[in-house]
Order: sequence, then C-alpha cells, then structure tokens
Amino acid sequence: MERSVRASSRGTRWTAEDRDELALRIRLRAVRMVAPQGFGYLGQALSAAEQVATVFTTARPGIDRLVCSPGHYVIAPFAAAAEMGLLDEELVSAYGHNGSPIEAIGTERSPVVDYTCGSLGQGLSAAAGFALSDRFNGSAARTYTLISDGEMEEGQVWEAAIFAGHFGLDRLIVLLDANNSQVDGPIDTITTIEPIAEKWAAFGWHAQDIDGHDTASLAEAIAAADAETARPSVVVCRTSTVHGLECLPSDADGHFIKLPPELAEAALAELTAKLEARHA
Amino acid sequence: MREPPYLTELKPYGRALVDLANHRAEILCLSGDLTRQCEVDLFQEQIPDRFVHGGMAEANMMSLAGALARCGHIPFVHTFGVFATRRPFDQIANAIAYPNLPVRIMGFMPGVSTPGGPSHQAIDDVALMRALPNMTVIDVADAVEVRQVVEAIVDLPGPVYVRLKRGEIPVLFDDDHVLNLTRADVIQRGTDVALVASGMMLAPTLAAARVLGKHGVSVAVVNVPVLKPFDAATICQVVAETRAVVTAENHSVIGGLGSAVAEAISEAGLGRPLRRIGLQDTFAEGSLDGPYLFEKYGLSTQELIRVTWSLLGRPGDPPHAPAARAERGEYSPV
Repeated sequence: MERSVRASSRGTRWTAEDRDELALRIRLRAVRMVAPQGFGYLGQALSAAEQVATVFTTARPGIDRLVCSPGHYVIAPFAAAAEMGLLDEELVSAYGHNGSPIEAIGTERSPVVDYTCGSLGQGLSAAAGFALSDRFNGSAARTYTLISDGEMEEGQVWEAAIFAGHFGLDRLIVLLDANNSQVDGPIDTITTIEPIAEKWAAFGWHAQDIDGHDTASLAEAIAAADAETARPSVVVCRTSTVHGLECLPSDADGHFIKLPPELAEAALAELTAKLEARHA
Repeated sequence: MREPPYLTELKPYGRALVDLANHRAEILCLSGDLTRQCEVDLFQEQIPDRFVHGGMAEANMMSLAGALARCGHIPFVHTFGVFATRRPFDQIANAIAYPNLPVRIMGFMPGVSTPGGPSHQAIDDVALMRALPNMTVIDVADAVEVRQVVEAIVDLPGPVYVRLKRGEIPVLFDDDHVLNLTRADVIQRGTDVALVASGMMLAPTLAAARVLGKHGVSVAVVNVPVLKPFDAATICQVVAETRAVVTAENHSVIGGLGSAVAEAISEAGLGRPLRRIGLQDTFAEGSLDGPYLFEKYGLSTQELIRVTWSLLGRPGDPPHAPAARAERGEYSPV
C-alpha cells in the first residue's frame, strides 16, 4: 500500500473550481513534460485531465487505490501528483529521459499509481484483483481505475468485466476515457464499440455516461458510484484528446502529439494565461 | 557489403508487400491498430479492398487469420512483435501453427530498438515462435533483405514469423545480395572466432569484426536471417574452423540465436566456448532512445569486442570501437 495514491490531505474539501484549476495545471505540466522531446503522450493528458483531477481530489490518501490501465496515460497521474506536491520536481522533469524511472509509458517502477501496464487492456483485471483482495481483507478501499475506450477492443477487458460483475465488486470505480481515439484514427472509423454504457450495464455494472471534461458531473458520478453496494461502476467520460488547448492543430494525432518548439511555446503561453486569468 | 554510416530507407517492407499483392490476389493485409507503424498504410491506400482493420484485438486477429488461411487466403498480420507473439500465443499455437497454415505474422520493433519499455520490447518473440512446431522464424538484417523477404516467404509451407525493424531501415548489403532462406550467410571466414549475428545485431557485429581484424584477430562473420529451420550445417562448418563462438542478437539470450547455435554445435559434438550477446535474462526499461538501451544492455559494438577479446584470452585492454556517427537519415550501430 505504500505506493497508493496520497492525493489530498485529510479533510480537504475540493470544489469544482479547484478541480478545474487542477485539470488546467495538469495540462500545463504535461506540456512542460513533453515539450523538451517535441512529441509525446500529451493527448492522453488533455483527454483525462478532469478525470485525473477529480480522482486525485476524491481518493482517500493511503486508503484508496489507483490503477491506470493504459500505460501511455501515466503522464496525467504524474502531472497531477507533481502539481499536488506528491512527486519530486526533479523526478518529474526527467520524464521520458534515458535512465529515468519516470518513463513515458508506465512500467512496474512507475510511482504514483498502484498499477499500470503499457500492454493495453490488462489493467481492469488487476483492478478486479485489488478489489477482490480488499473484500477478502474486509477493507472498504475504493479502486479507482482509468481505462480507455480503445482498450475495449481487447477481449481481456470483457473477461474482467464479467468477473467483476459476477462478484459484485462494488468498490471498483472505473473511469472510462471515451475520446474516440486510437493509433489508427478515430475508433468509430476502425470498429464499433458503441453503445458503451449499455454494454457495461449488460455485464452487470452500474453505468453512467457523462461529459468527461465537466468536473462537477465527474464528482457527482463518482459519488453515485460510491453509493453502489452491489455492483461495480463505470463512468463513461466523453472527451477529446485536444480539449483545453486551442493552439493545437485540429488534425493533431491524439495518440502521439507533435509539439515542435513554436507550438510548445504557444501552448505554454495559452495555458499560463488561462491560469493567470483564474487568479486575476 | 557497405560501410557505416549506412544509408537508410523508409518503408521497404510496405512497398514490397504492395508490389507482391498487386499480382497475388490471395494476399490479405491485417493490421492491429499499428497501420502506419507497420508500413501497411501503403497497402491500405493502394489495395483497400484487401486491407482489414483487426483493431487492438490480437487474439481475435490470429484466430481469424488462421480461418482465412484455411479458405485459401494468405493473410499477412501486422503489429509490433511483442503484441504479435506474447499476447496471442495460444491462438497462434492452436489456430495457426498446429494446423500448419500459411499465415505470415509480421512483428515490428524488435528487442530494445524501442524506448517504449518492457511492455513494448519484443525480447522473447524469437524464443516463443521457435518453440512452436511448424513455425518458420526470420530476423532480417537490412533493407536489401527486407525488400526480398515478402516474396521469399509468400509461398513457404506453413506459418512464418518475421521480425522487422521499424522506421529507418539501414542498407548494409550491396544491391546484388540475395536473401537465402535455407543457408546462413557466411560473410567472412576466420580461424580465431566466429561471430554469429541476426537482425539488427549484424551491423555492430560487422563493426566489431573490423576492429578485431585490425588488432590481429582472425574473425569469421555469419549472418543468420532464418532462426528456424536453423542451418546447423553452415554454422558448424564455420565454427569447426575457429576456436570460439560469439552470438549477437537483439533478444534475450534464452531461446533465440544464441540458444540455436548452442544446440547446433553441441549436437554436432563441437566443443567450443560460446558467449551470447543479448539481453542477459532481464527485462529492459523505458528510455528516450533505443541506442541508449543497446549500450546499457550490452548490445553494442564495444561489448562484442570486449567479450570476444576476453573469450580469446587476449592480453591487455580490448581495442575501442569507433564512435557511432550518423547524420540525419543515416544509421550507425552503437
């Protein structure tokens, strides 16, 4: 448990505005992490910023768990942890460098999260394992699990969904980042995964379908999931891999955004201005 | 044989597949959400009717490919080597290898050529595929061989696994080089040591052989594009003329080229000391670039020189490898 999320101090009350600011800071931090290399998994942070901000301000430090199934998304938990003072600045600034444990695709040595895996579609099974262990141990810890819509193409996700549904793992709360993006393009041009929420409901899950960039909706959905006592929960978060960063070209490759120096500078300026405007 | 820094080519595989498929209607192209990365965006553009998005669902894609092969198609299945072998291993065994079907599994981004970390680094794909009955296993060394491999395998009986480097593909061989799938390629003969390499390790092996040669070591160099069926006869012939053997592979030293050479020479009763360059039974890590990992995990020219020097019991420090210099678009091994 020593690697568990230690998100907020006990007793801290977070408002939707606080969470919006954290999401903005996650974006800004992610740009700074990716900029030196000129490319990287920025789209994942832009897509998941509000989800990660909401989880990091809801999870109980030292109790709840965080699984980041798609290892490419680990930039977002890293950025959130850095912004909340939970991750050493020097470590964060070595994101993706040679010899750095802060790798661009999450691995076994990634800090901040309890579990991540660069081979996609495996994290939900691990999350079910954590939730099952907590049940055996009489713990009421929640297992927050980030998965992506593209991962739904892997059969293992559905093996885990059947398992968690059958065992009624109600402490399992999945945030499913539905950004309609995979390497080969928009998911709906490659295959059909809709209707997403209905699929999970059919597998015995409590399913909600919300705007994944709306922190108020996210907080409500997580509260509703937490109130469940018999079923695992999934929150289908409708998002975009370019959200909150207007300077990106509309055709930016969401899986692996190119950020040449001029664009990185524009991104930093845009996000810094937005942050300053919040405090004006 | 050319000299480093080597010129590179983009998409030699993708072009070769399109060229062949244009007059072989049985060829189908399946992609597991890595279309551009596996060079088959060319196929998708030019022969869209025979291009199939398998999506990120490798297990399904392999069993599907087996059935397509049963119906007379020749499916070429594309993803990264790690996702092409580890994840759908049972499906490949049961739906492809056991029924001995002509599915061509094209695994890109071998070993630590990717900085993407253990989840993306195919360090055991050769071992896994070698272990399957009926499977042919190929690891080509350069763009000249890549250009030829598609036509060379299309009509082979049974399934084939091919490892292919992603991105800029160096040109090591002269244009008249012929990829031979039945005979290992003896590039030079020697009497002190046999350096036996496959795939991306041929370039540093050649570099090491040059340095060792200048320092009085008589070096044989063998390129082994086909790991299975293994040309034990050629290997044993070359090894018999030397005092020691060093293998070099961008893969775990367990189950790949080093193991195949060990099996071949021991079965032939050839008692020669052997050292295996490769990942020493370890997972690697994520990084900024591949060359850093080649260096760190002992897949470098210098490590080949060091190991050979020590194996031969040469006195003093081993000679130094030349610095790897490459302009943009060129390739030099570390």
